[in-house]
Amino acid sequence: MDSRLYFVFGDLAGNVLVGLLVGWLCWAIVGTGWNMFFTMLFTMAVGMIVGLVLFFPLGILFGAMEVMLPLMFTGMVSGMVVGMWCAMAPIGAATASFYGAICGLVCIVAIWVINTALRGPRTYGTEERS
Amino acid sequence: MDAITQAKWDKVAPNFDVMAGRGAEDRWQPSKETLFSHMEGKILFLALGTGLDIPTFPNGKTITAIDISSKMLEVAQPRLAAYDGEIQAQLMDVHDMSFEDNSFDQVFTSCTFCSVPRPVDGLRQLRRVLKPGGELFMFEHTGSSYYPFKSMMNLMTILTSKIGPDMNRTTVANVEEAGFQLREVNNLFLDVVKIIKAVNPC
Repeated sequence: MDSRLYFVFGDLAGNVLVGLLVGWLCWAIVGTGWNMFFTMLFTMAVGMIVGLVLFFPLGILFGAMEVMLPLMFTGMVSGMVVGMWCAMAPIGAATASFYGAICGLVCIVAIWVINTALRGPRTYGTEERS
Repeated sequence: MDAITQAKWDKVAPNFDVMAGRGAEDRWQPSKETLFSHMEGKILFLALGTGLDIPTFPNGKTITAIDISSKMLEVAQPRLAAYDGEIQAQLMDVHDMSFEDNSFDQVFTSCTFCSVPRPVDGLRQLRRVLKPGGELFMFEHTGSSYYPFKSMMNLMTILTSKIGPDMNRTTVANVEEAGFQLREVNNLFLDVVKIIKAVNPC
């Protein structure tokens, strides 16, 4: 992940915002007692769409793939977690939004960790790959 | 000339800088500057677009640049004029380049092979115009090998391929399939945004 503070805070704020919005949407849409499997798929899809929609304004400010993939990932995870919770038990809008935002925070940190593992050069020799 | 691809990029040219502009360019600027600092000899730059990469070029180079979209090249004019060096911008399709064989020492691409309709054929054309031992430097975004990013990018491609790039290209494999020898693949973000260095075998 980019270590420049503008991008670090941008990524952090963007993912927390998407998580918060998706959490609130799950509270607004999902009713207690909904089928869990259906709810999971539905709210994951809703979350990814929210992430994708917010990618367009945030991407102009903070980048392309580095914004799109984390936002969709956050949308998917926060939709799944909060959506299924809303299907299991009645929770308030503030609680749903808060835990959506926490999901966003966890997701962007996870992306940073995964990125640290994957990034960097791999060199290839003329005869043998290293 | 591929008329469908040309029309697609002509259509997005007026708003391209807004869509692909400041955020991505600011984030990628240091990596691009490092990559383009390798420019030397006779250079071909593929898919100049609106010239967003020009500020990251080293000064004083003579560069031949092509793009399939005349509208993109029109938008690029102020950046071409501002460059401290010489960039000869030409309207040309990578699948049908008019350059002679073995014309260039180096080829550079920047977010290009997400949009070339037949990427392996395009890369074979680059091999044709590169001298034996010539170098290919690519700054590209590709598909991911890892779940859930792979699925997301496959899903996105259904939407984006209509208006712009594919998100799930296997560009590293395509480079090898076209006959280049890989020298380095440097992942900049996950396994999605990367720098690829390869050579045209002698």
